[in-house]
Amino acid sequence: MNVEKSEAVYRLTAQNLIKEYQDNEKNTNEKYTEKVIQIEGIISEISTLRGNSVVTLNDPNSLSSIICHMQAEDNKRALTLRKGERITIKGVCTGYLLDVIMVRCIIVE
Amino acid sequence: MRGIYLIVFGALLIQNLSAQDKYLTKEGFVSFFSHSIVEDIKADNNQVLSVIDTKTGEIAIQLLMRSFMFEKALMREHFNENYVESYKFPKATFTGEIRNYDELNETNTVSEIVGTLTVHGKEKEISSKVTVIISNNQITLTGDFKVEVADFDIKIPAIVANNIAKTIKVSFELHHKPYN
Repeated sequence: MNVEKSEAVYRLTAQNLIKEYQDNEKNTNEKYTEKVIQIEGIISEISTLRGNSVVTLNDPNSLSSIICHMQAEDNKRALTLRKGERITIKGVCTGYLLDVIMVRCIIVE
Repeated sequence: MRGIYLIVFGALLIQNLSAQDKYLTKEGFVSFFSHSIVEDIKADNNQVLSVIDTKTGEIAIQLLMRSFMFEKALMREHFNENYVESYKFPKATFTGEIRNYDELNETNTVSEIVGTLTVHGKEKEISSKVTVIISNNQITLTGDFKVEVADFDIKIPAIVANNIAKTIKVSFELHHKPYN
């Protein structure tokens, strides 16, 4: 699966994705996991983990966030991001622990 | 047992949210390694959730099976769809305790973790040697242990039986920080 070339199957806000998971984790998992989805949200944290960038999108109404593990190709671009900025990210959803986890993410805008 | 798991995990997270004795990571590392004459297979998961209660030494760990990254995309696909059936069992969990937690310190760093590992909906009591480094407001656990594929009712088709080891080595590295 090439995230960059794939058209997002779903486009939604960070808030709505978290809400769907909190309402029904099982059904939401079936709907989104292993699919390329596009999420729009506000950046609450930018960090690096073993050489790769991690961008966290938050939902002000929830303790949960969306943790987006970026592809190596987007590491440099991720460094230019700022907390509080609105961003659109495309990636593969792997499920929900305390937060929604996304892997192989790229920045759309 | 699932009930116990939910109670332990729920209690660790929800009770005393402001208490100083809970340590957490959402970016823990777990990898597994399979060695066979045909090939070596390794997968890494960097999104492991782990919570320690430093009062009791209890620990609860959760990870998403789909967060394991393989060298080849096809390996990941086979792993999730055919072997561990991630659509049915999206998570692996562990609940247990770090033995003699209150006796650990800068010089005494080696202990044992014992508890229940649940993979593919099957539970197995396991124990693992663990190195516990407590410093600068961080608790780091590292170690590895071995599991038998057959213990988790994971069926490997005969055609690839030589590609996948019967015993898998699991390694972990978890850097916990105070939960507040």
